[in-house]
Amino acid sequence: MRNAGRWVLLSYRMPREPSQPRIAVWRKLERLGVARLGDGLIALPAGDRSREQLDWIAEEVVDNGGAAMIWIASPGDIAQERAVIDGMRAARAAEYRAVMEQAATVPADEAERTRLIRRLRAELRRITDRDHFAPAEREAARIAVQELAEKDVTVRERA
Amino acid sequence: MKWATRAGVHIDRAACAWLIRTHIDPEAEFVFVDDRTAVPADATPFDMRGAELGHHQGDCSFETILRRYELHDPVLWKIAEIVHEADLADERYDAPEGPGLDVILRGLSMTCDDEQVLAIGGSIFDGLYEYQRRAVLLNRTPG
Repeated sequence: MRNAGRWVLLSYRMPREPSQPRIAVWRKLERLGVARLGDGLIALPAGDRSREQLDWIAEEVVDNGGAAMIWIASPGDIAQERAVIDGMRAARAAEYRAVMEQAATVPADEAERTRLIRRLRAELRRITDRDHFAPAEREAARIAVQELAEKDVTVRERA
Repeated sequence: MKWATRAGVHIDRAACAWLIRTHIDPEAEFVFVDDRTAVPADATPFDMRGAELGHHQGDCSFETILRRYELHDPVLWKIAEIVHEADLADERYDAPEGPGLDVILRGLSMTCDDEQVLAIGGSIFDGLYEYQRRAVLLNRTPG
């Protein structure tokens, strides 16, 4: 059985108005793939990168009239941590599945195909950057996009 | 002058240290600290929480320093876009060099201590500056 891991926690509170900075912070946290533990309390697995990313978000909260604290923590029990990890993994899996669905429809138009491949690769990179507990869908999505790209190359060579 | 930043130097701090040494203070001496309360009284902190020279209004520390010291060199601002994308990857700029530079500096930080990262990072940024300078002068991809 694995030992409970270490996590970086950010607890924060921001003024309700203006809403724009609050939404900006919310979006940044989404992009990092955080686990939301409660109102104004989020977590990422501990690491230099996640620590630094949350440090700067804490700074942004304070710059916008809010209050923020960073803690390094370990979960009280393993089942509780597992539930958090399962939630994060399921969220990423859904994102990878959305990429696979888009990779399944091959546009006939060459320019459109190239655009789709480029967009899906960028999307994959963004998801992978916030994927802390790789679900099986990660590799499947990577293969789906790669196959789309290889099909594209084959079609172009034949033409 | 003394300058202080967090230990475990990565992209933004390596870029800032290079910028400070080449454009602000050739005699710069760098101190690495684990906590912001450990910054020496006579040192200017950068790329740390609570520092003026940190991330502000969506800028990374490199951009903040360019603004604060009124450095208007377009080549430096081109490098700022790359550093911003390497550090924040928020797609504010189109800087495809960013992710690659991030990987290179992150790898260096795994095999080298902070002094070495600054030394090797300095050479990387010297080269990057020269490349971008030629790109600006020639107005096309140099090489």
